[in-house]
Amino acid sequence: MVYLATFHWGWLLASLLLGLAMGWIAVVQRGQGVSKLVARGLSVLVAALVAAAIARVVPGRAGYWLDLGLVMFALYLAGCTVGSWLRNWVLSGHAKAA
Amino acid sequence: MHGFFRWSSKWWPGTIPLVIFWAIAAWMNTGPLESDLAARSTAALKDTVLDKSRVAVAGRDVTFAADAFSEEGRRGALAAVEAVPGVRLVNDETRLIPEAKPFVWSAERDVVRVTLSGSSPLPSSKGRLLEAARAALGGVEVLDQMNLSRGAPPRFDNAALLLLDQVGKLKDGKITISDNKVSLSGMARDLGGREAIAAALKNLPEGFSVAANEVKAPPYIFQAYKDPVAVTLTLTGYVPDNNVHAAIVAAAGRKFFSEKVVDNLKASLGAPSGFAAAVVLALGGLSRLSTGTLVVSDREVKLSGDAFYDAAPSQIRSNLVRDFPQGFQFKPDISVKPAAAPVDATVCQQLFSELLAKGTIRFESARSTLDPDSAGLLDRLIETALRCPTVNIEIAGHTDTAGENAANQALSEKRAQAVMDYLVKAGLPAGRFTAQGYGSTQPVSTNDTDEGKAQNRRIEFVVKE
Repeated sequence: MVYLATFHWGWLLASLLLGLAMGWIAVVQRGQGVSKLVARGLSVLVAALVAAAIARVVPGRAGYWLDLGLVMFALYLAGCTVGSWLRNWVLSGHAKAA
Repeated sequence: MHGFFRWSSKWWPGTIPLVIFWAIAAWMNTGPLESDLAARSTAALKDTVLDKSRVAVAGRDVTFAADAFSEEGRRGALAAVEAVPGVRLVNDETRLIPEAKPFVWSAERDVVRVTLSGSSPLPSSKGRLLEAARAALGGVEVLDQMNLSRGAPPRFDNAALLLLDQVGKLKDGKITISDNKVSLSGMARDLGGREAIAAALKNLPEGFSVAANEVKAPPYIFQAYKDPVAVTLTLTGYVPDNNVHAAIVAAAGRKFFSEKVVDNLKASLGAPSGFAAAVVLALGGLSRLSTGTLVVSDREVKLSGDAFYDAAPSQIRSNLVRDFPQGFQFKPDISVKPAAAPVDATVCQQLFSELLAKGTIRFESARSTLDPDSAGLLDRLIETALRCPTVNIEIAGHTDTAGENAANQALSEKRAQAVMDYLVKAGLPAGRFTAQGYGSTQPVSTNDTDEGKAQNRRIEFVVKE
């Protein structure tokens, strides 16, 4: 994992920033979110992929791409969380100040 | 908390660029990542001892194939690759190299090359053997047909290196190690090489033993060539030491009264016993030939050439066969030289005088027994006598003044008679010869010096019309 991070730090940073931006936007966005059913399905899919990565059942290049994708996705999610939380904090702070 | 779920349900649009990033990252980084991992894995294997080591990387999975020389070495190499940071899985395609039983290694030499074949325990020892072979056999082509196997006896390298040194002493042959038995065959390069190899084999490492040493020495050769045109006797080949060398050259000087002795002999070990006696005897035979070659090869004596007259070949043959040391084989190939044209009495006398000026017929001290060293001169005198079929010849014996006159007179008569007997035995008619003794009455030089006395002790041939 450390090796992946050092080798791909640029792309991982990009994923994190993308997540931050998306999270920042998501708080005030008015569009349609994914339904709970789809979200649950996606969670199961991601969990299955993580399980496959940990069990190292996918061989060769596909296995590497899976690992890389999951790490990028994890950082994206982390970015989203932090972004959304920050935006929410800024908005509520403003509300109090107002 | 409810807010968090609401926000997160709207995070999905970012996954579209994320997937694009991912695809680009995978596209750009797979190649460099694989070569980086391959380089690191290869570096991790640098200190391991393996043969045919091969590393292939797909993604972060390394396929590692190699031939290992021990189970520990194989596991260690595998662990080293597994420990490389970033490697996800190692596909183990390593194996142990086969065990050779028996463990056989050999070095074979022919005229132009040395072939190393059989098993060698490790790449490093294989390299060392090749290097040692090239060093020990400077200039000779070294062919490597060795494979790698497990199961070498302990101290194999030392034994093989010692044996490679011995290959340098062979002209051709083969040295084999089978487990801890060493066998050798072939022909030593030099005289004494066989002995040197046998001595070196005593230093084989502990545990090794010589199963068979069939190295042969090259034949011990002595050659003499009598050239009637150049009037030389050429000696080539080997003699055991300087004493024998001097003795042989001195004997040649006595036996070949008119020829110049060209001495190209070299000293070397390995002479058969009785060598010096056999060579001196055989030189006596050669001295009785007009032109001839003597080859002494180990214990085989070949004498070929032309004798001066019909009775000579059988005389030479029987003398040599009788007197040769034990174990020597005599193979004569002697023909008789065509008779020379007859000459008249004046020329005849001249020829006798010329021969007797070059050499003296010798006898045992104070006795009338002919010295074998004079056989060559006597045969030349007989040849000359055969060219003078019409003349009568007086054989005149002379002594120096040492001793009593009566004794000298008797000795000179007996000696003249002995020479005449020899001539008659060679087939000349007795009626044409008279043996006459003159004692010390007709000196040709002073009797005051040893040299003068030696000149006065003589046999003369006087042609009587």
